[in-house]
Amino acid sequence: MSFKDLLKGVVGAVSAQVPQAQDPAEMARQDARMQEWSVALRRNSVPGFVAERLRHTAVGKLPWVSTASPADLLTLHTHGIETLGMVSGNCWFHFGYSWTEGHRDGWNAAIARMQHEASLMGAHAVVEVRLKTRRLNDAEARASMDYAVTGTAVTIKGYAHSGPPLVATVSQLEFARLLEAGILPIGLAVGAHFEWMADPYGWADAQRSFYNQELEVLAGFQRRVRATAVDGMRRHARSLRGSGVLGRVQFTEMFREKGNNEEPTQYLCRHIAFGTTILHRRNQHESLKPRAVLMLGRAKKPSLEAAEDII
Amino acid sequence: MDTAPQTGQLSHQALERLRGLRSEGSHEGIFTSDFSVNEFLMVREAGFEPLGLVVGSCIYHVGVQYSSWSKNQEMTVLSQAMYHARELAMSRMEQEAAALHADGIVGVRLEVKRMEWDQDILEFMAIGTAIAHSAGHPMFKGVGGKPFTSDLSGQDLWLLLQSGYRPLEMVMGSCVYHMAHQGVMRSLGNVGRNAEIEVFTQALYDARELAMERMQREAGEAKAEGVVGVQLKEGSHNWQPHVIEFFAVGTAVTPVEDKSVLPEKLIPQIVLPVND
Repeated sequence: MSFKDLLKGVVGAVSAQVPQAQDPAEMARQDARMQEWSVALRRNSVPGFVAERLRHTAVGKLPWVSTASPADLLTLHTHGIETLGMVSGNCWFHFGYSWTEGHRDGWNAAIARMQHEASLMGAHAVVEVRLKTRRLNDAEARASMDYAVTGTAVTIKGYAHSGPPLVATVSQLEFARLLEAGILPIGLAVGAHFEWMADPYGWADAQRSFYNQELEVLAGFQRRVRATAVDGMRRHARSLRGSGVLGRVQFTEMFREKGNNEEPTQYLCRHIAFGTTILHRRNQHESLKPRAVLMLGRAKKPSLEAAEDII
Repeated sequence: MDTAPQTGQLSHQALERLRGLRSEGSHEGIFTSDFSVNEFLMVREAGFEPLGLVVGSCIYHVGVQYSSWSKNQEMTVLSQAMYHARELAMSRMEQEAAALHADGIVGVRLEVKRMEWDQDILEFMAIGTAIAHSAGHPMFKGVGGKPFTSDLSGQDLWLLLQSGYRPLEMVMGSCVYHMAHQGVMRSLGNVGRNAEIEVFTQALYDARELAMERMQREAGEAKAEGVVGVQLKEGSHNWQPHVIEFFAVGTAVTPVEDKSVLPEKLIPQIVLPVND
């Protein structure tokens, strides 16, 4: 086969994968697709073509798709955890009224969509969930961003499950390890808080001081913001009927807006906290009788990896 | 039995083997690879020998497509370009591997770079290590007798065989998408409100769905049972801010037909790293 023939094959494959532009039929199809998205998302559902693809994947008419590594696949034989397919959800949310509620609602909407996709496949859980945000740097998208989650839907052999699929940021292997120890990761808990603090008398400011000193006003402000966010996360975890939060990740940011004749100097602090909510029985520990190994390479924490792109 | 750790030197057999190697010299030419030590050992544990580093590249001029300002739509010209260029780079890498009589390529990395002097020119490169089964078993070839391709490492190849699968080919799906501008009036309507901006949600959802659909279809055409290690990447190769690419890539796998050639069965055991 000459290289030219090879090229021909490749070009053919491309046209099969991506439809031709400027074809009126194709344009009409794209419009219809958009219309379906509109209707479906308002009904908290997904379009028919997505539901069909997911169902076909779940029954093996289409290849399964998984973020799992080959090591994770071993849990099929050892723990009966079977991959169904990759699922996702996102929500572009405008938080012009409240940053605090916006962050909570944006993530929750995205997670609910992902869970909906997973339940269409008959999944028990979504593992290796990754969070990602996207922003647009233009006027019309100000005070808004996209909250996106992806993960792999799985079933657990012999596990009777009702209600929405479990959600965990850990990999399939670690998920198996948690289950084995009698711990159930049930969902993601999110807490966010955002607050302005006006400082008309410059108490927060210590620019003119020669001494080492704590900026108590600012420190207190930050502590309050953080505590409120964490409290929100705890309440969220409780509403999921969890007993604890693992692998918490958090992010704090503080800004100063210098005042002028009319406006006092203001400080802005925001904090967001995430974690995997688990359900376990206190004071009842089934020992796994682990063998301790010393890892020479530094392993990344999956929880931190999960939230790498959120900020 | 190997008593090397106690005696503080390599085992007798190992020394013999190395001495033998040195006196024979290599008559098959040397191999090159970007394997780490562990990766090299695990590839051999899986029953393969590395043949050499294989590379394919493609410098591609991306065509022009205008999007309507207020519409969510796929930039099909760009989608095709991104897919086609990657496919070209991959197929050139495969040709190199075929010339080495390889059974497959592992550790494939796909890189995209923008050329400094022209924003419409992109460089795509595919690099991996060609390997061949040491006993010459014919089962491991990929689709249509071509070498298999996989972005999995050597360790992952061994683990994949352990779980009863073999790699077929790297499958990918690309979708470049234009997110509609919602217009100043619409965005003013949102001031002071908390609300979903549906038109943006839909654009990203649809773009991701298209990329995933295409990758899955490609796996279906390769008669794969599944796709492992899927990564969903987002990129914007210096396009205008409302244009983004979703790129899904993973390794299509199929169950191993002849279980007798598999490396010794692994019995997993729970270990907890104590310093992690």
